[in-house]
Amino acid sequence: MTILCLCLLLSGREGRDADQETSAHLEWDSLTPDVSARIFDPEDWDFVGSEASRHLTRQFRRERTALALDWLRAVRSQVNQSIRAHFRAARGNADLKPADEIRLWLDFVCFQATSGILYLMVWTYGPPRAAKLLEYSQELAGKLRQATEDFLPAGHHVAVELIDGKQQGKS
Amino acid sequence: MYGELKHQDVQTACRDLADRSLAKIRGDLARLIYLASLRDYNTGEYHHEGLACRFTESVAGRAMASCHRDVFRRMLLCPVKELVEQLELYASSNNSTSFELVRVWEKLQPYRVIVPLECSSLAARLFVSNIRAALAILQARQLRVLQHPLSA
Repeated sequence: MTILCLCLLLSGREGRDADQETSAHLEWDSLTPDVSARIFDPEDWDFVGSEASRHLTRQFRRERTALALDWLRAVRSQVNQSIRAHFRAARGNADLKPADEIRLWLDFVCFQATSGILYLMVWTYGPPRAAKLLEYSQELAGKLRQATEDFLPAGHHVAVELIDGKQQGKS
Repeated sequence: MYGELKHQDVQTACRDLADRSLAKIRGDLARLIYLASLRDYNTGEYHHEGLACRFTESVAGRAMASCHRDVFRRMLLCPVKELVEQLELYASSNNSTSFELVRVWEKLQPYRVIVPLECSSLAARLFVSNIRAALAILQARQLRVLQHPLSA
């Protein structure tokens, strides 16, 4: 229950902050799966821990955690924008299928909850421990892209496509 | 049609730059620094006389920007462990010691100006964080060698 409440709080705050901040900064590389893989990869986390002083290790891990949280905010902001655009487009669509819309809404809620938990895990334990949940969250983002595809003009898909690229690469 | 031709020209110019200039430079870090040095700090435009003569100013500029992005991307995705090796390689290829490199880079922070213009702030922060960690690890290794010269 506490986690759920925190997720809702985070979701509300992120929506406001990230929408303004990230739209100006997102360029060619920030949301691609390989960049997120680098941020969440435990290799650097462990390597710096084994080679550097305690002070530097703490500083490096703090920076990585901040980067992972910013990345997550940016992804959530992009998904939120896509979903908003989808619902705007769906309103005027005569061939709307309620079952598909409900499924999309459930996926969206699930994505919000997963990414909210992911945010808390990254914040608490650091990015490497949250890597597994990251994959699941990215899968959901990919599903949302599939679902919104029919309604939106091409430009709206870019960010979610970047996220989805990882899954295509894997399969 | 024109766009396609232009794209092909840029690709050809990229290959030319890679074969004639970048291939002679050891290590991606050195290549990145070289490519960033071709860029005007005020306008963000790249200048390379030879490449501009073989192609056009605009094609050459786009090719250099593209190569810069590619090399930067490789460095961005490079683990910190490899970055430490790249720094050592860069220091040795410039006839300086890694001790000098660490000292000067920590003061001047030249790695901040080698980031491509189109790079997002998130990617730039990741790169700077990694380079700083790699420099600190290199410094820690040097200190260990100074303290225990025989075991090194």
